[in-house]
Amino acid sequence: MSYAKVRSAGLVGVRGHLVEVEADIANGLPMMVLSGLPDTALHEARDRVRAAIVNAGQRWPNRRITVNLLPAALPKQGSGFDLAIACAVLAGAGEFPLAALDNTAIIGELGLDGSVRPVRGVLPMVVAAARAGVRQVVVPSENAAEAALVPGLRVRATDSLRRLVGFVRGTESLLDPPPPSVPAEPPGPDLADVVGQGVGRVALEVAAAGNHHLAMIGPPGAGKTMLAQRLPSILPELDDEAALEVTALHSIAGVLAPGAPLLRRPPFQAPHHTASMPALVGGGSGLARPGALSLAHRGVLFLDEAPEFSPRVLDALRQPLEQGVISIRRAGGDTTFPARIQLVLAANPCRCAKPSGEPVCICTPLARHRYLGRLSGPLLDRVDIQIRLEPLTTAALLDAHAVSEPSAVVADRVAKARAAAAARWSAHGWRSNAEVPGSALRSPRWRLPRAALSSVRKLLDEGELSARGYDRVLRLAWTIADLAGRTRPTAGDVSQASELRRGAVAP
Amino acid sequence: MSELDEIRVARLALSWLAEPGNRALCRRVADLGPVLVLDELLRNGRAARTRQAVGADLDEADPRRLAEAALARAQRLDARVVIPEDDEWPASLNDLWRIGDESAKDPVDRDTAPPLCVWVRGGWRLDEALDRSVAVVGARAATSYGTQVAREIGYGLASRDWTVVSGGAYGIDGFAHRGALAAGGITVAVLACGVDRPYPASHASLFDRIAEDGLLISEWPLGADPFRHRFLIRNRVIAAITKGTVVVEAGPRSGSLQTLRRAGQLHRHRMVVPGPVTSAMSVGCHEQLRNRDEHTTLVTGVPHIVELVGAIGHDLAPVPRGPEHPRDGLAATERRLLEALLKRKPLSSEEVAVRARVPVSDAMRILPELVVRGFAKRREHGFILALHTDATTRSASG
Repeated sequence: MSYAKVRSAGLVGVRGHLVEVEADIANGLPMMVLSGLPDTALHEARDRVRAAIVNAGQRWPNRRITVNLLPAALPKQGSGFDLAIACAVLAGAGEFPLAALDNTAIIGELGLDGSVRPVRGVLPMVVAAARAGVRQVVVPSENAAEAALVPGLRVRATDSLRRLVGFVRGTESLLDPPPPSVPAEPPGPDLADVVGQGVGRVALEVAAAGNHHLAMIGPPGAGKTMLAQRLPSILPELDDEAALEVTALHSIAGVLAPGAPLLRRPPFQAPHHTASMPALVGGGSGLARPGALSLAHRGVLFLDEAPEFSPRVLDALRQPLEQGVISIRRAGGDTTFPARIQLVLAANPCRCAKPSGEPVCICTPLARHRYLGRLSGPLLDRVDIQIRLEPLTTAALLDAHAVSEPSAVVADRVAKARAAAAARWSAHGWRSNAEVPGSALRSPRWRLPRAALSSVRKLLDEGELSARGYDRVLRLAWTIADLAGRTRPTAGDVSQASELRRGAVAP
Repeated sequence: MSELDEIRVARLALSWLAEPGNRALCRRVADLGPVLVLDELLRNGRAARTRQAVGADLDEADPRRLAEAALARAQRLDARVVIPEDDEWPASLNDLWRIGDESAKDPVDRDTAPPLCVWVRGGWRLDEALDRSVAVVGARAATSYGTQVAREIGYGLASRDWTVVSGGAYGIDGFAHRGALAAGGITVAVLACGVDRPYPASHASLFDRIAEDGLLISEWPLGADPFRHRFLIRNRVIAAITKGTVVVEAGPRSGSLQTLRRAGQLHRHRMVVPGPVTSAMSVGCHEQLRNRDEHTTLVTGVPHIVELVGAIGHDLAPVPRGPEHPRDGLAATERRLLEALLKRKPLSSEEVAVRARVPVSDAMRILPELVVRGFAKRREHGFILALHTDATTRSASG
């Protein structure tokens, strides 16, 4: 027999696809042809596979070999098909029968010595294979734990081509994935470490409960970064579906720790302000890879020193903030990455950024205005909470004996508030207060009584708050009411909400 | 029947017998009460002092029974009758007593008394909906410029939580209503016919939306026809229930200019949107602005309008003006926060909270309230003490 077909799986963007690898051995000049839209790394598979087969002690068929990857129109990339190609070639040459690999997908990269090496994105690939009805996957042993997260199919691992060949011939057995390890995520930073910063803590809690984006403006040392890092600790854990999604994204980016369990804690990404567009939104040559934005999917994207980011990069955030996805279009096809993030911006009030305690800053009002002006516009329009953080005063430090609430207590309130909001808006299809449009909050059904609005109406009429800002305050008031377990915001809730817009860069 | 219901029926019956605003009849009602006036009319017939005010033929039917039937019908149509004895009666309507010329020949200028009762369709309380309201009126034959401006103003006012009041007519009125509805705000249409009668008929769906999200109100009973003169009578209500009237487009003899004049008599703000000097539909507007005696203000958009009608103190909770200790009414936490404020140096809510030994979230909730009530002031970097109340306290306690 001179033809064989083996199943494998590949990636397009963040989606896995089942790929069939077929090999045909024919008479003719000894050579190997690879077809089915392979990229450069895949072209090099010819040499890797040949060396690996020979070094694994097998015979390389010295005939004309045609390897085709199906569906042929799907662009394929990377080195994950090496192992499947090797099996197809050997089986096509009649070295062994394929009965043992029935209904099995094979994923893995080969070293020249015949060893099997790990690849990126095993999780989404295995998910795709399971969806396509595959019963068993063979993966590199380093990826076995990750693949085992997918229910519904048997995961086997191999460390070398020799072992796989032995398994097919019935002389050796494959490895089993390690037992699922207990979630070993180290505890993240806790809110209990934050001294003072009452306004910041309130803002953080409200942001977590209503899924509001947050901007903090304050001098260095005011605790902006410290607060932002603690946001994931008060967000609810990811549910099964979200956890799989997030883990898959990290797997594709190749940043999943080996033997990693499912990521349960909302991710936290803090790209540096020199980050390029591809680094943030995803990209790279050929088909795009996820950037920091997608790695923060269902978690927090923290932009420290936000005005220092390139304006183009900041503006690229607008689509994902609106739609929860980022699409990257390339000549070779477009890729859509999930990017439902909670944005946290931090900025100094001006460029000189004198730490607290230094003599007053000497920036002219125009310079200050211009510095924060780099942020304003459509991006800030989506940021509900905008606060100014003052440096810690001695008075606040003296008050430090007042014990700070730990994250767990706050997270509990946040979870209850989120559930209340989700239940209230479920009929409209909104998941959190942040998604509710302003016109809905002003409509008869949800309008607040006049007595509750007096303080914010004053701000509105005096021009200290814009009509858009007013809508934001209403949204925040609902979140504050949810946190307190009230069914409707009171005058106090609205006042507190207006305080969370005090730092508004644009009124 | 309770006493209030009896009054309601009597007012309703009286409103049937005369056109709204009839000075003689309303004066009599104010003096004697509606029940007695109705009895007097029915008993003495032609001899009654108010008889000449009443146009309808008294012998035709029992007005009381008619009124009761009308109330039952209103209930089926989800309409209601609001009378001055109700809590939700807007006090601003009573200002209508102050205007009107008893010696005027034209009944429209003479009979400007407050309505005897108001028919309402819609879910809002009348006083709550009209608490912050602006009238936006103008020509029916509006130009595209006018309709665009009217819609923008309607939208902008509603997004700033102002109620948009208008007359439900074609042109400017309709677009002002639509703008407010688009912003999810409250809009009130004051009609010159029954609230069950869409006029103009092609605005039927607009009126249904207004009844759902806002209010339809009228002085005329269900089924009343929109006679020509009724629009001029109605205009005094539009002017009275709002804080100001904006005319967007008006020809030289437009009815909206009459609304504007009424607003002036009632000491409400009068605002006019200018138009192209070549446009016939803005002639009336420009003429208003040229006439220096009339205190009319030129406005080009919502910020100008809000600047006038939302002037400080206009719609705020009443500042406690007790001569002795204004702080007496304050709760303990409020008092502590106030003690912690400084006269000159602004303190952030966090600093105030620490000084007052109060949780920060409480400070964030209460300080803006203290600003509204005039005890504190807001500065860019925080709050300071408002000096006048402080002085009052000092002098009173010391």
